[in-house]
Amino acid sequence: MAAVLGVSGTYHDAAAALVVDGVVVAAIQEERLTRHKNDPSLPRHAMTACLAHAGLAAGALDRVVFYEDPLVKLERVLTSTLGNFPRAVRQFPRAMANQLGSKVWVLDQLADLLGVARDRVTCVGHHESHAASAFFVSPYPEAAVLTVDGVGESVSTALWHGRDRTLACLGELHYPHSLGLLYAALTAYLGFEVNEGEYKVMGLAAYGTPRFEDELRKVIRLDDDGGFALDLAYFGYLADPELGFGPDLERLLGPRRTAYRPWDLAGSADDRRYADIAASLQRVTEDALLALARTARTRTGADALCLAGGVALNAVANARLAREAGFARVFVQPAAGDAGGALGAAILGALALGDPRPAPLTTAALGLPLTAADALPLARQLGLTVTTLADPAAELAARLDDGAVLGLCAGRFEWGPRALGQRSILASPRDPEVRDKLNRVVKQREPFRPFAPAVLADAAAPWFGAPDDLTPFMTTVRPVSGPDLAAVTHVDGTARVQTVTATAAPALHAVLTALAAGGRAPVVLNTSMNGPGEPIVARAADVLGFLLAHPIDGVVIDDALITRGSR
Amino acid sequence: MIDALRGVVVRATSPLVWRWPGHAPRKLEAFARAEEGSRLDLMAAAHATPSLARRARYLRHALDETRHAAMFTRRARELRASAGLAPCGPPRADTEELFARLGELGFLAFVHLGEQRGRKQFEVYAAHFARRGDARTQAMFDGILVDEREHEGYTHALLVELAGADGARQALRRARWWSAWRGWRRAGRAITHALYAVLMMALYLIMAPLAWLPLKLRGRAARKRWLLAPPRS
Repeated sequence: MAAVLGVSGTYHDAAAALVVDGVVVAAIQEERLTRHKNDPSLPRHAMTACLAHAGLAAGALDRVVFYEDPLVKLERVLTSTLGNFPRAVRQFPRAMANQLGSKVWVLDQLADLLGVARDRVTCVGHHESHAASAFFVSPYPEAAVLTVDGVGESVSTALWHGRDRTLACLGELHYPHSLGLLYAALTAYLGFEVNEGEYKVMGLAAYGTPRFEDELRKVIRLDDDGGFALDLAYFGYLADPELGFGPDLERLLGPRRTAYRPWDLAGSADDRRYADIAASLQRVTEDALLALARTARTRTGADALCLAGGVALNAVANARLAREAGFARVFVQPAAGDAGGALGAAILGALALGDPRPAPLTTAALGLPLTAADALPLARQLGLTVTTLADPAAELAARLDDGAVLGLCAGRFEWGPRALGQRSILASPRDPEVRDKLNRVVKQREPFRPFAPAVLADAAAPWFGAPDDLTPFMTTVRPVSGPDLAAVTHVDGTARVQTVTATAAPALHAVLTALAAGGRAPVVLNTSMNGPGEPIVARAADVLGFLLAHPIDGVVIDDALITRGSR
Repeated sequence: MIDALRGVVVRATSPLVWRWPGHAPRKLEAFARAEEGSRLDLMAAAHATPSLARRARYLRHALDETRHAAMFTRRARELRASAGLAPCGPPRADTEELFARLGELGFLAFVHLGEQRGRKQFEVYAAHFARRGDARTQAMFDGILVDEREHEGYTHALLVELAGADGARQALRRARWWSAWRGWRRAGRAITHALYAVLMMALYLIMAPLAWLPLKLRGRAARKRWLLAPPRS
């Protein structure tokens, strides 16, 4: 029996995860604690918080496992920059400063930071971490596992066969051929920030028609066996990772969109063209993933599929895989991106030390807890009004039904980029004006961004179909039935639904149950509690700061309703 | 002494600085980044301080910094639009972990000096825009100045409350030294980076022949297909 800390970081989305005696005890993204969005630094705060939550001292750790091999990564960076002589002349100094200045010493830094013996700090492969993070917490004894992201050390895509406590790699595709980098390049072309704007591209795609599919098939060639190759002439990242795409892509698709220019899909022909390009990219990405998944099915014979890596956060593609790839079941863990690598690394470390495989993940609430007792003294100090609710779920349900926009903070915060009822903003799912107001005033984001519904799992069928392994963590989309959920129905008639059980999110479950008990649809609009460019709130000060800075009607923590205004 | 010198420089250069084409929005964006960095440090302080009253104070201050960053960004976007420049993105900054590094007293002293410096600088800029008849930018600086004065005042009051008048003076002196040392180190880092970039470029050129060798890397670059393990029997 062992205590193993998994760590990801130094690129983006740093995180730590703690597995003790085969149980996932805590998993925390660094950004939640430092308030620095996509914080890439070594996750000092997250590591400390995981250990504190478990009541462990760092000295009690049997192993610390980093989520990728820094030396293999250095080799790839070196060989890639040299292989691209002389185009990479500007990248080389930066890349070497990055690698030699800190990244290559990361295992020593971890040992120093935590005060553990260096021989207890090890590393595993980037894609192996991803695969482990998905398969070992899935409900499947056997599954095909696909890991798809920008690039790990040198692998961009990998196919695995998971059985009980083992993962066998069946195939790999190497950098620079990468679906993640294709998506990232087009994200930059469309004027969004890479590693941040990919969700926006996915949301935008629903507004377009894929009329640029033929052009994009020149950019990526799909093979029958699931492999693919990018035509590197269209990309700039070999010379400089910050460039993403090259002039040839603009010659193919037209000029890039100016970043940060406000969107006008109704009035601007240019913006509609960009939406069409987003739709084409989505289609091509889905086709590539589908081919990969079909190969995975053939090669493994498994009837379940696990996905991980940044590309696995594409909920629209996941839905298509679930429908068309031939698998009976599909699972994506909530932090499928690089943060999730920390969880996979911890599990791999624990398994190597002989611990049992963790139980299937039934909740994303793996962060630090928040109670009314934590928040109320500060709320009073800030002059906020605190009202004790006799029946919080019923009162919250009634207020939401009256059109209020309320925060719900309950228990431990979520693992991954989605608010799943632990640090959520809730609103009525019916009124599209609520959606527009939330987008404009609270979230201050593009008008085309959709909001997601949360629905009682037992009652989801009439609106969204039956729950499956993807719906609890909001990693898929479903067609919406009925006209009464306008605020959470995207322009293509789908929604990125979350089905809620009492185990996964008890407080949100109680609110939905109260709505049902009152004869209303057990559905709410559920969006993350964060301002533009900020991580989702975590602790009391973040929550109350959000309430003070944004025009929502209040926040419920346990039985306390906290509102602005006079005491 | 340094502050006085800085004031003279700011007053002397501001007419040039703000009239330089395209420079005004960039300067406002730099202010937005500074406010964003300050927000991160203040949020860290709000989480770390043992005092409930100071936690509330730091939190309010952090919210002011967020608002200021938004104001600077908004005005920078307006100026960019009027100059026909591409819009800017949201401010991004790193935390310096000042609270953890300096302790609460040192943190307060550092923030106090920063607010004082900002207040003096913004007063010069507000007067400059008043003279130029740019009421919109002047109003923005005036609005932010109200908060800067308040921040300057409360941080000093807290310093005195925590350390007494003498202790506060000592903390401010230490913070000035630390600030100067930080500036020195930053300058050193910038020079080192430049030197390093030149050396690495030279190294890149020296290593260039390797690019033509039949290295593993060239094989790897050519791997366009799956590297598949044998099928299951």
